[in-house]
Amino acid sequence: MAYAYLFKYIIIGDTGVGKSCLLLQFTDKRFQPVHDLTIGVEFGARMITIDGKQIKLQIWDTAGQEAFRSITRSYYRGAAGALLVYDITRRETFNHLTTWLEDARQHSNSNMVIMLIGNKSDLESRREVKKEEGEAFAREHGLVFMETSAKTAANVEEAFINTAKEIYEKIQEGVFDINNEANGIKIGPQHSTAGAGGAGGAGAGGAPPGGCC
Amino acid sequence: MPSSDSEDFESADEGRSSPNKRERKKRLSSSNYSDNLESEQDNKKLEPVINKEASSIKENLPKDGWDDFDIEEESLPNNEPQKEETKASIVKPESSAAKKESQTSGWDDFDDWGNDNDNDIKEQPQKTKPQAQNIQEAPSSQQTSTKSDGWGWGWGVDSLLSTATAGISNLTTQVSQGISTVLETGIGAPDPEELARISAKNDTKPNSAEEKMISAETNHEQSNQSSATEGAFPFGSLLSGVTKFVETTGTKVIAGGLDTLETIGKKTMEVLQDGDPGLAKKRAMLGLDSGDKPVLSQVLREARAKADEEDQLREAKREAKAVHYETLFDDYEGLVHLEALEMLSKQVTIRIEERLRTDPDKRQDIKETLQQVAELCEMPDEEDEEEEEEVSEGASKGDALHERLQRATRDIGLKLQFQPLIKQYTEILTWLETDDPSITEKAVYKKAVSSLAQTTALCVELYHKTGEMLLVKSRRSTADEADALTQLTVVLTKHISDLATQFTEKLTSHATEDKDQVNNYITNVFLEAGNSSKYIENAFQLAIPIVQIGAV
Repeated sequence: MAYAYLFKYIIIGDTGVGKSCLLLQFTDKRFQPVHDLTIGVEFGARMITIDGKQIKLQIWDTAGQEAFRSITRSYYRGAAGALLVYDITRRETFNHLTTWLEDARQHSNSNMVIMLIGNKSDLESRREVKKEEGEAFAREHGLVFMETSAKTAANVEEAFINTAKEIYEKIQEGVFDINNEANGIKIGPQHSTAGAGGAGGAGAGGAPPGGCC
Repeated sequence: MPSSDSEDFESADEGRSSPNKRERKKRLSSSNYSDNLESEQDNKKLEPVINKEASSIKENLPKDGWDDFDIEEESLPNNEPQKEETKASIVKPESSAAKKESQTSGWDDFDDWGNDNDNDIKEQPQKTKPQAQNIQEAPSSQQTSTKSDGWGWGWGVDSLLSTATAGISNLTTQVSQGISTVLETGIGAPDPEELARISAKNDTKPNSAEEKMISAETNHEQSNQSSATEGAFPFGSLLSGVTKFVETTGTKVIAGGLDTLETIGKKTMEVLQDGDPGLAKKRAMLGLDSGDKPVLSQVLREARAKADEEDQLREAKREAKAVHYETLFDDYEGLVHLEALEMLSKQVTIRIEERLRTDPDKRQDIKETLQQVAELCEMPDEEDEEEEEEVSEGASKGDALHERLQRATRDIGLKLQFQPLIKQYTEILTWLETDDPSITEKAVYKKAVSSLAQTTALCVELYHKTGEMLLVKSRRSTADEADALTQLTVVLTKHISDLATQFTEKLTSHATEDKDQVNNYITNVFLEAGNSSKYIENAFQLAIPIVQIGAV
């Protein structure tokens, strides 16, 4: 898969808000009502096109459970974008947003684009958090806001793609240093010069595996 | 500019001499133009040419108007004060004459606009008249040219663009026309004072207003010495003239340019065909005729061969990419798992170091414990591997792998997910067993590389997941964990080499003429298998701190 850029995303938020379902809807365009609890982090990837450029979104879907909190924190680093998800039918997931946000801000780079997502917008009858509240929170903390439904796929594409657009704009503005992989952006393998051999694959112990060719 | 404006100028002229517009035009385009200019040295020289060209010029009136204008201007940017001064001196007496003349021809009734500039006005004709002239020459139907003429005070820019035009056009004609115009303007046209008055009268028209302004400005500037005027003039004109000028000149230049190009083209053909009808000789000379046929086909053949070669190269590159191990490993998420595992490992290492720092009393103990764990995680020698108990008879290779994996991790205290690995292995086995003769050795090779990459990715994922689960495990049993991970690594690397062997056997069994290519493939498969083992061992090393932290 050739791409111009690779953006690392991280999905965070309380357990059961639908993080893995959002990812599945975005990558596979399907909804799975019963989902295994995520252990640590799971991955998903999809190619999108922005400004005529192929961009690979590499999404790190973290476990929402408290037990994994210390682990998932180590994954924040090097993310270009974050989807902070809450469940509009469970107020406590909304109430925990501040903690999540603090965590994200503390463990990630300051330029990370954070998108606030109120998921399960299809369950209007069970709504506990008003859309306005989400909007207000996003405004207050400088986030982009969207209500989505992983079930109906409403706004799911937009959430991921708008975040990518914002990151892309930041690259154009020079906010992100694309050569610094700690920003969660990698430049794609434009012209792979490596032959079929690939003997130089596994580097030394601690060498970053990123920037593959 | 509205055509009425040119009418105004026209009428100014009428008052002086010409009663009729058409007649005036005729007069302008003929050598009569320079009737009064005998004093000018160039004029005489150029007069015959003008006469000769007169008829053609008449057809091209707007252009003439332009070029006349241009050529006069050319002298301005040149900054030749001497020339300019002589011109001015030629012009001056004439202008005063013109003024007198016009005053007697019904212009007296104008108000006293510009009275305060009285002294200056006398010197103005030098600049003003060309404009009047141009307007008169431009047929009223030619709105664009009329307009630009009216605005044509943009001397500086004007001259640049029009110089180009003039250069393309028939120079002789243009120069002669231009010079005669310049000279005539000094004589025949109405006094600027009157022009200004006309402008004032027509102050409802924006262009007139503009002109008025410029006239005033001009008057003011002209009051200075003529040398100073030359410097100052372009600026004032630039301010007002540029915008309009650019759009009109654009059209002009293009139209004129096309005409010229056409003429050049025709002429070129004429010259080429001169004494060589049908260009037969020239074609022969250039090798475009009979002789070219074999050459052309030869060239085409070569080009095609080259293109084919390039296609093959590109295809080979694409193929190489399709069996590119690292790319495949990345596609199977091996790389990202390795990256995540590395992040965990680093985090944990930092925590261990912190503990060492903050707890100086136990530092030695901790160090010893870490060392012990590291020793436990040392890979056994090859010989030890052979001691491994054989799995139950009759079990499929997939089941055997599963059994080995489970036995290896028996004591880790976690429920590890081996299914993906087993499932993938089973699929590979099925593929290997199908005896389809249509499968080429290349296909086998591709399958081998992709299988190795996928297996390795699954192995790395296994380490990553195990690491994560160890970190959230409530009760740690470091020794067991270390042992289990070590054994797991042994099983997995063995699995990789098994896979490689099976694929190379498949390749060897392939009856083929191209033994070299097959050997090449086999070498590569073992190479990638070694690569896989390195990734797996790498992942294992990254997992060691995660085991260690359970003990400290």
